[in-house]
Amino acid sequence: MGRTVPTYREALEERLARWEREFGRGLTDPKDREGFERLLRGARRCVGPATLLSTGDLLERIVLSVLLDLYREGEDPAPSR
Amino acid sequence: MPRGWLLEAHSSREGESVVLWLKEEGSGRIHRREVPWAPPFYVTGPPEALRKLGQDLAEDPRAREVRAEAIATSLLEAPGTLTPALAVVPARHGLRTALAEALDAAGSYTTFRFYDVDLSAPQTYLLERDLYPFAPVTFHGNDVGAREPPETLEYALPPLPGRELEVLLRSPSPGRRPRMDEPVRAVRLGSTLLQEGDERATLLALQEELHRQDPEILFTHGGDAFDLPQLYGRARALGLTEETYFLGREPQPFALGRPARRFTSYGRIYHTPPASRLAGRFHLDVDERFVEDVGLRGYVDVARLSRLGLQTVARQSPGTAFSAMEIARARQMGVHVPWKKNLPEREKTAGQLLAADRGGFILTPPVGVHERIDEFDFSSLFPSLMVRHNLSFETLDCPCCPESPRVAPGLGYRSCTLREGLVPRTLRPLLERRLYYKARKGETTGGLRERYDELGKAWKWVLVTSFGYQGYRNARFGSIECHEAINAYARETLVELARAVRTSGGEILHGIVDSLWVRSPPGKEPAPWARELGERQGLPLSYEGRYRWIVFLPHHGHGLGVPQRYYGVYEGGEMKLRGIELRRSDACPFVKEVQREVLALLAEAPGTRAFREAVPRALALGARHARALREGSVPPRELLLPRRAGHDLKEYAVFSETVSALRQLKRLGAPRGAGEAVRYLLQDRHARDWERRVVVEERLRGDEAYDREAYGDLLARSFETLFLPFGYTLGKVREAWGWPSPRPPKRSPPHSPERLEQRRLPGLLG
Repeated sequence: MGRTVPTYREALEERLARWEREFGRGLTDPKDREGFERLLRGARRCVGPATLLSTGDLLERIVLSVLLDLYREGEDPAPSR
Repeated sequence: MPRGWLLEAHSSREGESVVLWLKEEGSGRIHRREVPWAPPFYVTGPPEALRKLGQDLAEDPRAREVRAEAIATSLLEAPGTLTPALAVVPARHGLRTALAEALDAAGSYTTFRFYDVDLSAPQTYLLERDLYPFAPVTFHGNDVGAREPPETLEYALPPLPGRELEVLLRSPSPGRRPRMDEPVRAVRLGSTLLQEGDERATLLALQEELHRQDPEILFTHGGDAFDLPQLYGRARALGLTEETYFLGREPQPFALGRPARRFTSYGRIYHTPPASRLAGRFHLDVDERFVEDVGLRGYVDVARLSRLGLQTVARQSPGTAFSAMEIARARQMGVHVPWKKNLPEREKTAGQLLAADRGGFILTPPVGVHERIDEFDFSSLFPSLMVRHNLSFETLDCPCCPESPRVAPGLGYRSCTLREGLVPRTLRPLLERRLYYKARKGETTGGLRERYDELGKAWKWVLVTSFGYQGYRNARFGSIECHEAINAYARETLVELARAVRTSGGEILHGIVDSLWVRSPPGKEPAPWARELGERQGLPLSYEGRYRWIVFLPHHGHGLGVPQRYYGVYEGGEMKLRGIELRRSDACPFVKEVQREVLALLAEAPGTRAFREAVPRALALGARHARALREGSVPPRELLLPRRAGHDLKEYAVFSETVSALRQLKRLGAPRGAGEAVRYLLQDRHARDWERRVVVEERLRGDEAYDREAYGDLLARSFETLFLPFGYTLGKVREAWGWPSPRPPKRSPPHSPERLEQRRLPGLLG
């Protein structure tokens, strides 16, 4: 349909893939690894509301999503598969 | 004056008049009328260039007439603004596009602008005479007048007797491709089999029988690609001529209509065979219907409003019909229709781009099974928003309403408050139509209900495409800004609804663009509540039903919910399935059938607890089928995998199942290319030999061995699809079936470079 710009979902997945590739690979401590995966999950969990944010800043969307996820962590353990 | 119906209008063979086919009321007699008709197209440009063009055209045999006129060319200009133009009447209808293209080239593609070029002669005739296909008419000589407008909701159709047509060859052609060297053995017309021994006699007998039975419609399965081209091809080979041999009601060229073509949509290549249209009779290829569940009634209704013939509407996408309706509306508003779109996207900053192109509002659903879930849908949300907020390419940021209170949320585009735009004007009657048919469907039963259902569905499809066309670069009456504005309103609408549900104490589980899955607060009756919520937003919100249970499925990689993969059963027993094998076009019949059985078993469960208890039984059912599969006793025909070739054979770089299939088809003399469908049995997924990896349907005898391991995986995977949220990975499913895990590939696992280094080190040192 001639989209000029990738959707937020696409942009997010691309960025997360890069983080995984370049940053996540270097995490050797399993605890770090677990935390990192939790972080990725947090970014993905709030895709809907993040789309509503009218900003060109991908990071702003990710940061908000991840922070919100962190705040909820204490009261609401990570959703299990 | 006789009364009857106008069935169809098409260009005459000479291309200087329009032929009308009329069916008389009562007697059913067919009348043919030929009306001289030579509609112009228009050219605008710098006065000097136009004057010169006029002089050149006066001597050009391709133009019958050239005259200077002034026309309205744009809805963006104030009403009444006229532009000097040349009206060019082509010598024949068929020259219209070619002549315009030549003039465009002569002006280096920049000097001139063209209008009404792709309005066909029959289309302009119908528009200017207030006629339309299937109009009830009175007629006298060439004077034909409609007795009611096309928008009429309840109308009588002429009797439309139909016959099935099927051509049988002496040795069947693989893939039902026309083969000019293969004689026609027999032709089936309805229940009559025509087989004269001599091929020529058989063909002539068909014409005679057609004349005798005189059906209005010929139905075929694949007639566009095979039956009709084969018949006319053989007729030519046997020395029959176009003047005397025809299957419509008058002679027409043996080479019928538009050639085969390809197009890309959402990154996928599609292939459409040539359209074989008949003159004076309708040929409908059941396999080529663009939208499957729209019946004849629906197509007739769309033909009436779009002024496109039935044979066109049934083959084209609903978007083509919507486009035609916009054109009709634009002509009614006194504006001529631009040929190539000349409305570039406005310049935007990168930030604006990112803010604008954000699509619909979609949530991430919670993976797993849930009960007591209600689904609310906005019906025709996008078209409703376009009408409600007057969203059209020419109403956005119009000069007349800088203070308009209609502002697209988050974008700031304002829409006009003074004039209703072309798109809303086109959509308003269609929306009303769909709602009317939908309501009538609810009030009726039996055949009547079916009829309203067909009618409603046809419009649903047209309305769905109306939105997509706003951002489509070839759409004449769309703009990307309009597309963005609609999305912005849509997001706002769903968020608003979600908030309203939350404040009433409801719980939101999932939302996609125009649908919301919620757990309603206790004591709220969902149906009246939906009405109330919808009324608050001024948009029709319908209650789709309550689920006994619904399962939201996870992403294979990260395990979170994906929006468009779920399955559930409404309390009434109806299922709603998205993204699972049963809905996929690339799954084989066997896997689909097993999944159907599994879902039927699960559907019995009244809630989540019973659902969970049913899962082991579902797996046991799967085990039985898996056993049959492993024993090799499943008929190969049920294992045919449908695929669509993504490329032409020579463009494939890697050997694959599709390549294997395409090579076999090529050798059989039935080559397929990009966008075309193939079906094959997977014989040995590891074979490097193109003759052995698959067997194409066209070569299938029915007793072949299949790759049991590969099909076992496909079956197990379909169970993984349904039950992954409950821990059933592919491996677990196979384990539950006592099916040993696949042997690891024979290659030794790759060593990491570090380890190679370490092994070499001592050697180097020593």
